[in-house]
Amino acid sequence: MKHICRFVLTVMFVTYPVILWAQAFDEPDAAVHTSPGVVHSDAGLMGFPQPLSLSDIDGQRETPAIIVAQAIAGEEIPARELATHAGKEAPEEGEEEVPLIADPIAPFNKAMYHVNDKLYFWLLKPVTQVYSHTVPEPFRVVFNNAFDNLWAPSRIVNNLLQLRFKAAGNEFIRFIFNTIAGIGGLGDVAAPALGIKKQEADFGQTLGHYGIGHGFYLVLPVFGPSSVRDGVGLAADRFMYPLSYISTSDLTFGEAAGIYAGEKVNDTSFHIGEYESFKDSAIDPYVGMRDAFVQYRQKKVEDSKK
Amino acid sequence: MSLQEDAMKKSLIGIALFLCVIIPLPVFAGVPLDTVKTHVDKVLEVLRDPSLKAESSKKLKKDKICAIAEKMFDFTELSKRTLAQHWSKFTPEQQKEFTSLYKSLLENTYADKILLYTDEKILFTKEVPLTEKTAEVQTMVVRSTQETPIYYRVILKDGTWMVYDVIVEGISIINNYRSQFREILVNNPPEYLLETLRKKVGKA
Repeated sequence: MKHICRFVLTVMFVTYPVILWAQAFDEPDAAVHTSPGVVHSDAGLMGFPQPLSLSDIDGQRETPAIIVAQAIAGEEIPARELATHAGKEAPEEGEEEVPLIADPIAPFNKAMYHVNDKLYFWLLKPVTQVYSHTVPEPFRVVFNNAFDNLWAPSRIVNNLLQLRFKAAGNEFIRFIFNTIAGIGGLGDVAAPALGIKKQEADFGQTLGHYGIGHGFYLVLPVFGPSSVRDGVGLAADRFMYPLSYISTSDLTFGEAAGIYAGEKVNDTSFHIGEYESFKDSAIDPYVGMRDAFVQYRQKKVEDSKK
Repeated sequence: MSLQEDAMKKSLIGIALFLCVIIPLPVFAGVPLDTVKTHVDKVLEVLRDPSLKAESSKKLKKDKICAIAEKMFDFTELSKRTLAQHWSKFTPEQQKEFTSLYKSLLENTYADKILLYTDEKILFTKEVPLTEKTAEVQTMVVRSTQETPIYYRVILKDGTWMVYDVIVEGISIINNYRSQFREILVNNPPEYLLETLRKKVGKA
């Protein structure tokens, strides 16, 4: 018990000041530790708050002066934003760049797409509906935090591999803080308390960060749209999943599958209706999903380079 | 970065702010964001209206949202950019029909997605100018377990800012539909796409 106290105190009084100091160098769009009441303000220059919320009672808004000030002061963001969009922006008609992916095994992928489709409607959705009627949302949010916390080691390692040391450090702090103060990760207390947001990172993104392309599109049964690169990424991330190592022997396949199923059902309980809506709005859902996957992953890789 | 650079930055901000007061601002700083926000606010009003909460009012809600979308989105621009190089393969009549069908499809899609909304917080975080006539309005939808960035790309036409693309978590609507339509148009004539759209919209 004494050791735990000492450990927690060290974390709070050594690493917290280090984080404060690090925030000065941090990108302005990272969350800044504001007063407890203000949870979602976007930090501007040097913590200059730019709160803009529909539910903001003051109705405070980002004035044009601040936007221009950002640009004039040579702040990174506008330039970076413009650079990122240069590839995607189409001032002229029909010249917009569209990320593409090869799909040489399309028949297999389409079959897998249909398998996953049926799995969703026949298995995942009914189970999730029962689950979300049985378990109240606050509990599901708590479980979501706990599951999410378990992916922290993977995020830490991948942030390090991408040489995003601040992000890795942040994730490390989050992991320790949430595991201890958040009681095993049940609460994401790092966000409101320390103002540190989750820094997503996965191995597929890491590979993309270093210029490795997708290879080709690959729809995995159960796991969904992926690619050669991201499939490898999934497997690699699984190795960094802590629950694989808690018992003296590794988890049996059944146990691991059970945990994955639990995580999947809990997560889906927050997203019921989205897949149906996507299918409804698509002319060709298979192509739509493939394209959405490619765009989404490209954004992730772009984000990792910021 | 050192503390000196910090201080330098701070003084730069001070100067910039001072300059902004005495130098006229760029023409559209703030207006795109305001425009989008006004429209989104109207939509949220409809969603939060207690008299429309009942299941039976769903159609009415949807109609109201479609009316707002009409003013918010520039469907011609959307259609042109979605079809890209295939646009010229369509006759003017077909172009007109496509725009109208695409509009119905998008309005339905947008309305359906919006109706899934249940009290999340929407933050308007930033406005980024892209070219002379286009800008990106960045918003964030905050839910209990995640934050979803939604960016609206707007274009200045006849003095009004209208939306021509919506990017959700990096996924652009234009790009997404473009890849779907391209798949169809590569092997089929424009009429085939129009027929597919007619069936799709007719069902909705």
